[in-house]
Amino acid sequence: MLITAQDYVLGILAGDRLTLARTITLIESILPIHQQLAREIVDTLLPHTGKSVRVGITGVPGAGKSTYIESFGTMLTQKGHNVAVLAIDPSSTRSGGSILGDKTRMEKLAVNEKAFIRPSPSSGTLGGVGRKTRETMLVCEAAGYDVVIIETVGVGQSETTVASMVDFFLVLMIAGAGDELQGIKKGVLEVADAIVINKSDGDNIHRTKLAQREYETALHMLMPASANWSPPVLTCSSLFSTGIEEIWQTIIKHRDAFTESGEFEQKRKEQALEWMNFLVEDGLRSWFYLNPEVKKLLPDLKSAIALQKLSPTAAADKLLSLLIQVSG
Amino acid sequence: MSQHPDFKKWQELAEKQMKGKSIDTLNWQTPEGITVKPLYTAEDIEGLDSVNSLPGIAPYVRGPMATMYAGRPWTIRQYAGFSTAKESNAFYHKALAAGQKGLSVAFDLATHRGYDSDHPRVAGDIGKAGVAIDSVEDMKILFDGIPLDKMSVSMTMNGAVIPILAGYIVAAEEQGVSHDQLSGTIQNDILKEYLTRNTYIYPPTPSMRIISDIMTFCSENMPKYNTISISGYHMMEAGANSVLQTAFTLADGVEYVKAALKSGMDIDQFAPRLSFFFGIGMNFFMDIAMLRAARFLWFRLMSEYNPKNPKSSMLRTHCQTSGWSLTEQDPYNNIIRTTLEAMTAVLGGTQSLHTNSFDEAIGLPTDFSARIARNTQIIVQEESQVCNVIDPLGGSYYVESLTNEIIDEAQKIIDEIESLGGMAKAIESGMPKMRIEESAARKQARIDQGKDVIVGVNKYKLTDEKIDFEVREVPSSVRDEQIARLVEIKASRDTKLVEKTLNDIKEAAKNGGNLLAAALPAVRARATVGEISDAMESVFGRFVATTRCISGAYSSEYDANPEAINAIKERTTKFLEAQGRRPRLLVTKMGQDGHDRGFKIIASAYADLGFDVDISPMFQTPAEAAKMAVENDVHVVGASSLAAGHKALIPALIEELKKLGGHDIVVVAGGVIPPGDYDFLFKAGVAAVFGPGTPIPDSAGRTLALLEEKFLS
Repeated sequence: MLITAQDYVLGILAGDRLTLARTITLIESILPIHQQLAREIVDTLLPHTGKSVRVGITGVPGAGKSTYIESFGTMLTQKGHNVAVLAIDPSSTRSGGSILGDKTRMEKLAVNEKAFIRPSPSSGTLGGVGRKTRETMLVCEAAGYDVVIIETVGVGQSETTVASMVDFFLVLMIAGAGDELQGIKKGVLEVADAIVINKSDGDNIHRTKLAQREYETALHMLMPASANWSPPVLTCSSLFSTGIEEIWQTIIKHRDAFTESGEFEQKRKEQALEWMNFLVEDGLRSWFYLNPEVKKLLPDLKSAIALQKLSPTAAADKLLSLLIQVSG
Repeated sequence: MSQHPDFKKWQELAEKQMKGKSIDTLNWQTPEGITVKPLYTAEDIEGLDSVNSLPGIAPYVRGPMATMYAGRPWTIRQYAGFSTAKESNAFYHKALAAGQKGLSVAFDLATHRGYDSDHPRVAGDIGKAGVAIDSVEDMKILFDGIPLDKMSVSMTMNGAVIPILAGYIVAAEEQGVSHDQLSGTIQNDILKEYLTRNTYIYPPTPSMRIISDIMTFCSENMPKYNTISISGYHMMEAGANSVLQTAFTLADGVEYVKAALKSGMDIDQFAPRLSFFFGIGMNFFMDIAMLRAARFLWFRLMSEYNPKNPKSSMLRTHCQTSGWSLTEQDPYNNIIRTTLEAMTAVLGGTQSLHTNSFDEAIGLPTDFSARIARNTQIIVQEESQVCNVIDPLGGSYYVESLTNEIIDEAQKIIDEIESLGGMAKAIESGMPKMRIEESAARKQARIDQGKDVIVGVNKYKLTDEKIDFEVREVPSSVRDEQIARLVEIKASRDTKLVEKTLNDIKEAAKNGGNLLAAALPAVRARATVGEISDAMESVFGRFVATTRCISGAYSSEYDANPEAINAIKERTTKFLEAQGRRPRLLVTKMGQDGHDRGFKIIASAYADLGFDVDISPMFQTPAEAAKMAVENDVHVVGASSLAAGHKALIPALIEELKKLGGHDIVVVAGGVIPPGDYDFLFKAGVAAVFGPGTPIPDSAGRTLALLEEKFLS
């Protein structure tokens, strides 16, 4: 039985799969006592983190994200890398339970000794995707995984959060029927470091080439975030593992260019600051809503607004004035 | 004609008897979405295309043959195979002596998936759900003393269809039987494997090409042989209702026709050799109507290709009573269920029939249970006098009306598939699979609520279940015997010749030569099933399925007893509050058993009940499943087993979990597990075993209790 933070730390540094898995459970737990322990573990591990290539992958449902990761991750392990995959699964039902089926589409990678895949339900936990995933990424790095892939579905809000914690953000697309930009928000394209059009195989090759040109045009209209990097549009086939190597080379090229220009260091620093801001906001929010006075007053204010007895501004003022009393 | 002159009078009488309630309240909504009324009259069948034809004449609603059973009854064809070729051969001889007319071979899962018995991935599967066949030497033993020029042999094989069919042909050659004398059927229906049964090897495109190769070879060399048996059975077993079964099966058929035409054959060259295979469930009149509707629809679908030979548009089918309808509880009831289903198949006009053994929810059929099963249909055939009249339900207001409803409903789905670009494309889109799974989840919810009655399971339950009959078990020594024979064969054959013939198969795979023709020399040279499959795999690759799972279908159907559901939801929420996360369950299927119905219903329903459910890929080894359980840090692993591999695989899983430090992960098992094995599993560390028919709220409640005890106290 693992009791102390030190036990967890030693296990993780030794690369023990079970300890890593159980630490992630602590990170994801909604119990303050678990979160406290997790924070302690993550803090102790911090000197051992930061050395991985952090890749975020998003795409509309059906773009073939899992199949892509199966192919991409397998190639990386063949190159000698240890690969961690953190999959954020949105398929929660109304009851709060969820079906986590990512590994069924990563059959080879799931059994690969050099890979660690952890699907996480996105609902039912405080703090949202951001807090859990970032800390999980850090412990994976400490456990010796030198490529961390974070998979998220590109239809919610999680993708910009993920973009703000990785070095390289990859948007996966397929050549669709008609409107190529359907379903994916413009904001996602703005944070993309590369767009990859998947399923470029068989009688689909022609269509992917066409889509490639359309995306290139679309990206030209956006201002690149860095003078040293224009996000390329690539094609690949996860099924036949073609174009996968080129994507890895692109990621390496991006890393080299950014390291040389100093942007790599800069980006990670900014991300750390953003992270702090996020934690402060997140902490404030939960501190506020867990406050007994707030908890007591909130339902009344809500119904007062619903009955139009009170304006939202007045209600917010009332609540926030509580905050001043609490802290004062 | 219009309404019966007395109809109003009847309606008044009926409503009076019902104390003023409308007769519409007696309507029954079938799972197919058809509204069945309490009374049918002549008005209901007025002007229907499918009424009033004659047997043997298009559109064949009343049967493909002019005399049907009045001329010759259906073929009694019992599906069997287990253990070694020698054991199965002895079983066949006994069955043939006792009145069986045709053979139907069941292969083990290792063979289905193209693995030899010495492959580490299949250690738990050898000889379990069918006979183990590694080479033509096994095939010769299997058919020893059975003249293949006289006996029609049906083989259920889809994945490793090339080495198995070639093995059968070469075994016949070595009996002195030429290719053109062979009669029988090979299942060879790969599309449904991607939908439900999962015993495929290669991706869809090369698999479809293999089918065309077989059709071409057989149309030239084996004119009496049915090259495909287009199967709805497995869809029904996976949960498809009768309309879905009809639509998807016929749509598969259309897809094969298109593939054969594309490969350059003429419609009349292959279409007369297409045969079908339907599953027959407990909905008596529905499935009678289903077979009648299927014949009508097939005629209509095939007419578009303008065949000259009437046989090209004639649907001939084998039927099997539903294995899924059999219960582990009070198992002698299964004899009665099978009898009813046999009657359904017969009244629907099947060409051959398999009747299940009553112990199939418990173990493999024994000599005793197989005899009862065989006699079930012999008694229907020889004692009940039902054979004397052709299509005795023809003209029945209800059956004719139902036939027409199924035709209309199935046609809608067939049209929908056509709009997706045909069945292969529809399967890629996931549509048919989702429909079947949704239908299965709804069925389970109806059973769990007692809306669909199953005697002994959700009504009239026995308090004391006991097994007072022998349960067949396949000893693990079968694997050793097979391995020993493989070693012997590999030592005595001409290695150079084997290499050359295997290379020729690879060349054919690459360059488009006929694969069945290319496999024959390899089989003659004693290349094994695994070697021939590997040769093709090196060119085609091995297919990996995407497991999709629907959520919400179970709970949306489950409305009768919301307390039971809510109680469990409350407990999962309490667990979340106490443990910091929801109870997390990994459902896994180890071994080569591809029946994923139970496994998916569990995933879908447990998620609805507030569990976080991880699904493993199919065909896991115990070590792979353990890695996933530990990595995902689940509280409990649910191992589903339907193919007799549980005694080897589940204890191995527990060992592997311990190796990774996961001592505290609870293991439960479900599926077809003989009650006699429960103690063995408990001793190995299994915390609970859920037999077939366990209502989901029960199994979820018990699983949750185990977790509450372990983690919350």
